[in-house]
Amino acid sequence: MLRNVTEMWRFRTLISALVGRHLNARYRGSVLGFVWSFLNPLCLIAVYALVFKYYIRFNQVDNYTLFLFAGLLPWIWFSTGILEATASISGGGSLITKAMFPAHILPTVSVLTNLANFLFAIPLLIGFMLVLGVTPTWNLIALPFVLLNEGLFLLGLSLALAALNVHFRDIQHILGNLITLWFFLCPILYPVTVIPAKMRFTLIFNPVALYTSMYHDIFINGQFPSMLEFVYTLAVACMTFMVGNMIFNYYREEFAELV
Amino acid sequence: MSLTQSITSDGAPGSILLERVSKRFRKRTLMRKNYTTVKGQLLERLLGPSDKDSGMFTALDTITVKVKPGCSLGVIGRNGSGKSTLLKLVSGIYRPDSGSVSVNGRISALIELGAGFHPEFSGRENVYLGGVMYGLSRKEIDARFDDIVRYAELEDYIDDPVKTYSSGMYMRLGFSLAVHTDPDILLIDEVLAVGDAGFIHRCHDTISDFRRRGKTLLFVTHDLSSVERWCDEAIWLDKGVVRGRGEPRRVIDLYMQTVNEAEEEKLLRENEAAADAAPTSPQEISDNTAAQDDDDEREIRDPEREDGPGRWGNGEVEITDVKFLSKSGEKKWLFSSEDEAVIEVDYTINRPVKELAFGIGILRVDGVAVFGTNTGLESVEVPLPDFSVPVQGGFKGTYRFHIERMGLLESTYYLDVAAHKSDHTPYDYHHRMYKFSIRCTVPFHGVFNPKHSWSFDVSYATEGKTTRLEGTC
Repeated sequence: MLRNVTEMWRFRTLISALVGRHLNARYRGSVLGFVWSFLNPLCLIAVYALVFKYYIRFNQVDNYTLFLFAGLLPWIWFSTGILEATASISGGGSLITKAMFPAHILPTVSVLTNLANFLFAIPLLIGFMLVLGVTPTWNLIALPFVLLNEGLFLLGLSLALAALNVHFRDIQHILGNLITLWFFLCPILYPVTVIPAKMRFTLIFNPVALYTSMYHDIFINGQFPSMLEFVYTLAVACMTFMVGNMIFNYYREEFAELV
Repeated sequence: MSLTQSITSDGAPGSILLERVSKRFRKRTLMRKNYTTVKGQLLERLLGPSDKDSGMFTALDTITVKVKPGCSLGVIGRNGSGKSTLLKLVSGIYRPDSGSVSVNGRISALIELGAGFHPEFSGRENVYLGGVMYGLSRKEIDARFDDIVRYAELEDYIDDPVKTYSSGMYMRLGFSLAVHTDPDILLIDEVLAVGDAGFIHRCHDTISDFRRRGKTLLFVTHDLSSVERWCDEAIWLDKGVVRGRGEPRRVIDLYMQTVNEAEEEKLLRENEAAADAAPTSPQEISDNTAAQDDDDEREIRDPEREDGPGRWGNGEVEITDVKFLSKSGEKKWLFSSEDEAVIEVDYTINRPVKELAFGIGILRVDGVAVFGTNTGLESVEVPLPDFSVPVQGGFKGTYRFHIERMGLLESTYYLDVAAHKSDHTPYDYHHRMYKFSIRCTVPFHGVFNPKHSWSFDVSYATEGKTTRLEGTC
């Protein structure tokens, strides 16, 4: 594991160059180009807002659109990141089979590319808050820590799934479905408070739900995330990262033959 | 630089040591059914692995290879002999199943054209990304960028996406990048072949220079002459084992000898199959075709007949067997340019004929008529038997055509044989039914290798004394 981490540091220039190139490549050739990275979540938010705010008249939250916005942006990072990372090594082609390329860079790049997309959308979110009269608070300083925390969790999961997917290509298809289910289990469309108190404990099995609440706290509720939840998720993230690395290292030697 | 390779710190950089290394692949990997399913894995767990060895293919079998710093090693062998696997083990792309691989120093590997290049990105972006992959910092790449581009001759295209590059451009950029990263060890896998003559020339210079600076070179190729030129040592891999190693010339000769033997066997089988497949008796030919067949040259050049093997004639005389014999009388279909040979043709006279002539024709595989003659042309009388004596099964005979020296250049040739009347009306004509090959140690140009030698005579006068230099070769 230590080797993976030191190699990630050693190849930081490569990683940042690859992230840049992925961000660039994603919308290369499209007319609106980079604007799509904002338009995609905005469309999603618009549809959810239409359905839940105006059709279903869900009124448990003030500023429901803003609530959606704050929850969806990190979710898009998480879901797109994990899906891309899972397919990154099996789809790595000659980079894996014919070049001396450190394989774990690929899932890392998927995670970071989508993180970058998330970060680029944050000014948009803050602008939206200002328009609606919600002032950002100093609690925003907690954001980098939450990002780091979730990033560690996501990276660990991504490394494991990317490695496993080389052997079992079913994983990327299963995951596609699983992610949709996972989405509804996170308090993105609804606040935690609508979950019956008796059932609320189930959230501890879902770190992403806890992360979502933290983003809500930071952006909308103007409060510092619960320290207990933060420490708990960080512990889970560290475990996931370690296990992810172990699984990855167990399979990594066979990548060049199986891809 | 090696990214996933353990780098040993002792000794001078540039050494490679593979000790008793084996590498096996699962057959399903080779069949490109390259991934398992959860179901398959579960079944395998439950039912137990089904005979592990039968599903494995051994690419390299306990081989030991040692390359000293500054030494260049050429790896030769047929397709699938494990050469590329060896290179991938050294570069750290593959891990050995058993044995150890230790590499000392920075490696640059050119394993496949454009591996590691991103097609959507420009040459410039790819140089930076590739450079970082080879372990250079941005600053180091900046310093070398112009050299890399100039060397690759891509000044005008460096900002175009590499997907628009030709394979030669891909190779030039890859090679240029690899040699400019200042590696201790350069691995090259048969990628230089796509370069044009000018670039290949500079590759040669660069590699020579690379060797002069005491760098290590590991080189996989089918171009044996470059192994001889560049390598201090060669190893010959065959089906995953080292069949020969040592001085390049000796290893190459050993390898060529085996390749030739295998090819000879193949030609033998092919000719036997062709003889079996051909009509067992000559086909009757129509009158108008016969009228056109008024000389051998046209006969051979007749485009309609150039498509494939054929046999025609009225069958009054039948050619029953055709053999190429070496000087010592053994059946052979592969000769060297200097070899002596005999073409031996058995025939049967089925019906009494008044006249009989035999012909021999040699065509190169691309259709060039190399040589043609017949007994009529050279006023050689073919002895005819006394047909008044009744015999059973026809009159059998054999004619031999003696060749003192093949004198042909390296290629594959077809042998035509014919029995015909003096006006060339064929009794039995075998066209393109027999194939033979010539090997030539010197890559001469043209079609013909006359027996030749060189001599020199140089004279000059100094202070009343005349010096003469003479030489023959």
